[in-house]
Amino acid sequence: MTTPTPTAGPAAALGAALTAEYAAIWAYGPIGVRLTGAARKAARDAEAAHRRRRDDLVLHLSTAGGAVPADRAGYALPFPVTDAANALRLAVEVEERTGAFWRAAVAATTGTDRERALAALVDCAVRATRWRRTAGITPLTVPFPGRPA
Amino acid sequence: MIRAGALLALGSALAPLTGCDPFDRDGEPAPGPDPLAPLVDEALALAAAYREAAAAHPTLAERLTPIAEAHATHAAELARVARMTLPSATATGAPAEPTSDPDAALATLREREKTAREAATRACAEAPADRAALLASVTAARAAHLEALR
Repeated sequence: MTTPTPTAGPAAALGAALTAEYAAIWAYGPIGVRLTGAARKAARDAEAAHRRRRDDLVLHLSTAGGAVPADRAGYALPFPVTDAANALRLAVEVEERTGAFWRAAVAATTGTDRERALAALVDCAVRATRWRRTAGITPLTVPFPGRPA
Repeated sequence: MIRAGALLALGSALAPLTGCDPFDRDGEPAPGPDPLAPLVDEALALAAAYREAAAAHPTLAERLTPIAEAHATHAAELARVARMTLPSATATGAPAEPTSDPDAALATLREREKTAREAATRACAEAPADRAALLASVTAARAAHLEALR
């Protein structure tokens, strides 16, 4: 998982957002297995939401005739997931990092592409807030979701 | 957009030459109203509303104070981008009616936050690229505030 480059054109920015979605879907695997009950269900729902964004983007990019970045067999996690506490911390981080790519895509696009990117950033920020609540992290929100620290 | 912007720029460049700038800005070109100005005002008003609710309902303070600070931070950043000067003291209009119970206070804040999220969404859709990312973060923050108020 990396951070977005700020000067990409629309197709490159959406392609970068797609790779972020691939990584998010992958990360929810190890996250989900460390969680139980409502938190595990929330992880499944979050993963499903990222899959919908991925499918939407693949369709959109291929219809536009541009390059569609390929998924990889695995992604480097920022830290190992060994228990529920760091699984929740990773879930927060996955949403923050994925949101950063969508924020970059907002700046690189206009019209319906921008609406789509903004909706995705909003979803990431709301899920990050829910994960912080589950993890007992305060404050629940950050002032500028998606902005590189 | 480009044409309108160019005309505005021309207009403000000419203003000092005509010598009829009623506010005498010491030769500074008179700026046209920035489209971010209403968002700055809204963010300041929201920050004040959250602070007032936190003061009236101490049990909510832990939740509301970070949101008040986020709105104040948004106002400062939006003003910086728009090259506006923030009012030194937050202009609170008539003091808000003290709401008797915390649930009612939260419901009021939720409504205001929803309206503000929609305003930021519209502003983001219409913004030039160099402002769109900031407005996207402001929109996402407001959506996250709504989640935090649940």
